[in-house]
Parts: sequence; structure tokens; C-alpha cells
Amino acid sequence: MPERTSSRPDVSTRLPRGTAWRAVVASTRNAWADFAATFTPLSWTLGWLGRIVAQVIFYALIGSLLGSEEQVRYLYIGAAVLATAMETLLVVSTSTRERYSGTLPLLVASPSALWPVFLGRSVQWLPSGVATATVALFVIGPGFGVTFTLADGVATFGVLVVLAITTYGYAFALAALVLRHMRLRNWATNLSYIAMMLVSGVTVPLTFWPVWVQWIAFAFPITHTLVAIRHLEEGVRPGLHVLGHVGTAVLVSLVWYVIGAVSLQRLAASGRRDGSIEFAE
Amino acid sequence: MPSGEIHGLLGPNGAGKTTLCKILSTVLLPTSGRAEICGYDVVTETAAVRRLIGIVFGGERGLYTRLTARANLEFWAALYGLHGADARRRVDALLERLGLERRADERVETYSRGMKQRLHLARGLIGDPRVLILDEPTIGMDPVAAEDFRWLVTSLRSEGRTILVTTHDMSEAEAICDRVTLIDNGTILATERPSTLGTWITRYARVRASALAPEQVAPVVAAVSEISGVADVREISPGTLLVDTAADGAAPAVLRRLLELGVTDVATTRPDLAEVYLRVIGNRGMRVDR
Repeated sequence: MPERTSSRPDVSTRLPRGTAWRAVVASTRNAWADFAATFTPLSWTLGWLGRIVAQVIFYALIGSLLGSEEQVRYLYIGAAVLATAMETLLVVSTSTRERYSGTLPLLVASPSALWPVFLGRSVQWLPSGVATATVALFVIGPGFGVTFTLADGVATFGVLVVLAITTYGYAFALAALVLRHMRLRNWATNLSYIAMMLVSGVTVPLTFWPVWVQWIAFAFPITHTLVAIRHLEEGVRPGLHVLGHVGTAVLVSLVWYVIGAVSLQRLAASGRRDGSIEFAE
Repeated sequence: MPSGEIHGLLGPNGAGKTTLCKILSTVLLPTSGRAEICGYDVVTETAAVRRLIGIVFGGERGLYTRLTARANLEFWAALYGLHGADARRRVDALLERLGLERRADERVETYSRGMKQRLHLARGLIGDPRVLILDEPTIGMDPVAAEDFRWLVTSLRSEGRTILVTTHDMSEAEAICDRVTLIDNGTILATERPSTLGTWITRYARVRASALAPEQVAPVVAAVSEISGVADVREISPGTLLVDTAADGAAPAVLRRLLELGVTDVATTRPDLAEVYLRVIGNRGMRVDR
């Protein structure tokens, strides 16, 4: 019979510096693996991209029915940019897989915090979302009167990247909420998407809505980045005005990132209390 | 539990085995009582406990099946603060030790059930834990793979790791555990050595006699019922008798008597855990033995 020992071993509860960052990087490998298992280059191009572009064109055709080139451009740009946000919202779906695959309790019981894992877990949607909108805006867009100078195009691409990263912050926070309340999974994603489509200046100008709705819209990073992209398409040089919108989106997203990180830590704590973190989901 | 022990936690479904594992793994707070891992309280000293434990599930859950085995281990290594050459060495060593090195760079979804379970064990060992918690680790495995896995688990004993393994398979508990604890309804019923379990299993063996002619049934029932240690004899279907024993050596005596009576279609079966509970634990009352 092995001996019973009463002495406590010395245990360092502090992880080495850089562990959080390395956890983010390690988690991104999971994201790429998911993406590679979901799409081939051909299926992404013909299936996913084709579907999104068709959706964008559909919006533009509504503008065409209204008989206004301005409406066509307005709706086309809005729908194209919304595609980036829509893909980024898939973070919620990807994140909740941790519950279904039974890895969540292992993550909670590991010495690392949860937020780095989830921060890296869904990054595959960032380049995918940016690529979709890039093709829609710069390749298909000219057919609907959406044109950019080279400089404005480069700046617009940069804003799309910012849009993806900032919306990722919103989706990160949303995923943290949904991980606690899994029944909200589809509701949260779809309501967010619909809300962005309605109030963020995608289909109608922000000023169409009452002020209180506009305040809600300000919480979505797309509201600010879309204004910046519309300015660029109209030929407004990247200046303080455009940078101001982009900067606002970044600030808004920082709040979302913090909310997401805190919510994930609370998820672990509340899950311990209410027994909602199951070994077998 | 003393350190370096392989301790089995036995109980039927819903007994509380996994709940205890969750408490020890720091993913569930106990409603009452106190639990420590190596002297660290699982409720108040969570960070220390998490550095000391490794968790291994049975079944498909708990792995990133779209990643390779190496990538899975590298991911968990990062979460346990390992990086660079240390992480690579640890991952390589575990892959080699668990016999996964040849397919280390293939996606886990292509693995057999046994290989996945070995990867589970490797993942549980990535943080070099002092205490390993195995929750029904061989569930769904074929007998050969399960035996192979049990050998791996017992080999960890020599490294001084303490292992808590939950199972509802008494033979598994017998094979690998130094001691076993029976629980039901969240309560410890008894803690025994596996040899005691073996005694229970032998004592409560069940004999099944089939293909009896209708005129044989009554005399066979009468004759077998007279044997010392026979608890019950009943006809479960026309021509088939089931004999429950409740004493050491009763089952062989029943077999001999049946053969003497010309009954040759006979078989013995082991009682399942629930039956042992009902009969052994029922006899012993609810004494907590620890």
C-alpha cells in the first residue's frame, strides 16, 4: 500500500509570462483546422463566396428597383460590408463547439484563463470575412457603380480589416454570453445580424432612426466603419473624419473585448456554482 | 487517498462518480463537505489544484478531432505554461510513450477509439500532474484496447502519481486498483481492496441451466435448493432455471449437482455491480469504511 503523505508540495500558481499569448496562438491552430475541415478553396469560392455575393447583389437589385443609382450603391456597399460582420458573427457558433465537444470543462480545469483560448478560437472568420467583402466591393462592385481610387481602395481594405477585428470583439462578448446560456445560441447571432442590418446604416441611413435606436447602433463597430467606407467610396480622403470613425469602432470594440474576457472568467466561476459545466455535454 | 495509489470509484449510473470528479477537477463546487488535492483545498486554492491534476475522459469528448495529436498536445501544453523546447520535448515524449508517434501528425478524427483514449491520457499527463482523474476511461473500448489502456494506467503508479479512476466495471477495478470505493447516491458505501470485490463476485455467482425437460424442472429445483449457499432458484422461462448463490463455493456445488442430474446446458455469470450492491451492501448496511 502506498504511503499517505500529509505535506503539501510547493506549487507555483503563476504561469510563465507570455502564456496567455501562446494560448491565443495555439488556439488559432484550432481555428484554421476547423476552417480547413469546412472548406476547400473551391468550395469556399463557389459555395460560400458565391452565396454571399449573390446576397449582396440581391440588395443592389432592390436599389435598382427603386430606380436610383445612389440607392444601388448605398445598398450594395452596405450589404458587402455587412458580409464581413456576418461572417465574424460565426464566432458564436465556433465558440460554442467547446461545449459540444466536451473540451470546456478541461479548459476550465486548466491553469490558464479561458479568454485567450476563445480569443484565438475563431480567427478563421476574420480573413474569410475580409476576403468576401473585398471581392464584393472591388471585383463585383464596379458593375453596380461602386468604384474606388487605388488609394481609397487600399484605405477601404484597411477599414475592412478593422471592421472584422472590431466586430470580432462584439462576437467574442456575445459568444461568452451564449456559452452561459446555450439556448440563446441562434437567437443571439440572428438578432445581432438583423439589428446590424437594420440600424447600422446598412440598408437605411442611421439618421432614419430615433436617437435612442442610434445609440444602440453605436454599440456595433460596423456602424462606425461603414460610415468610414462610405466616405472613402465618395472620395473623401482618409483624414481625421474617416480616422475618427475607425477610432470610434476600435474604442467600442475594446469595451466588447473586455466584456467578453470578464464574462468568460465569470462563466467559469458561475459554472462551478451551478454545475452547468458538464463533463459530457 | 494515499499518494501513489490507484483508487477505483465504483458505482452505477447516477451514483455520483462524475460529480465527485468534477468537484476534484475544480469545475463544480461541493454543496457541503471538503476535498483536498495534495493538501490544497479544491474550493479556495483552485489555482494550485489545477497545476496538480490531470483529467482524462472516456469516449469521444474532450479532444479536438480536427487537429493532429501533436497539435492537440501542443495546445494543452501552451495552456499549462509549457513552451519552446520544453513543450516539444514533453509532447514528443508523451507521443512516444503512448505509442502515437507514428501517427502524431494525422488528424485525430482518423484515429481508432483506443488511439483516441491514449491521446486522452497523453493530454491528461501534459502538465505532469501528481493526481490523475480518469472518468470512465475505457468506456466504449474493445477488450484489447481496454486492456492495453489499463496497462498504461498501472505503469503510471511507478511514477508516484495518484490516480482516481471511475468505472462501473468491477473487473476493471479489480485489474488496476489498489483499493476501490463503492458509492451510491453521493454517499460512500464501502472502501475495499479489489480482492474483496473478487470474493463478492465469486460468492454471488449466478448459474443458468437451460434446456430442461418439463418433468426435470421440479426435481432439479428441489435438489439445487438444498445446496448450502443457494439463495434462490427460479424458472425464468420454460426449461430455463436461474440459480443465485450467496456463499463461497456454492456455485461449483450447484454445477456439480446439475451435472449429476443430467443437466449439461449450464453457464455461470458474474453479477453486475447493481446486484452486488443490492446483496452485499444491503447485508452490510450503510457502514462507511475508511
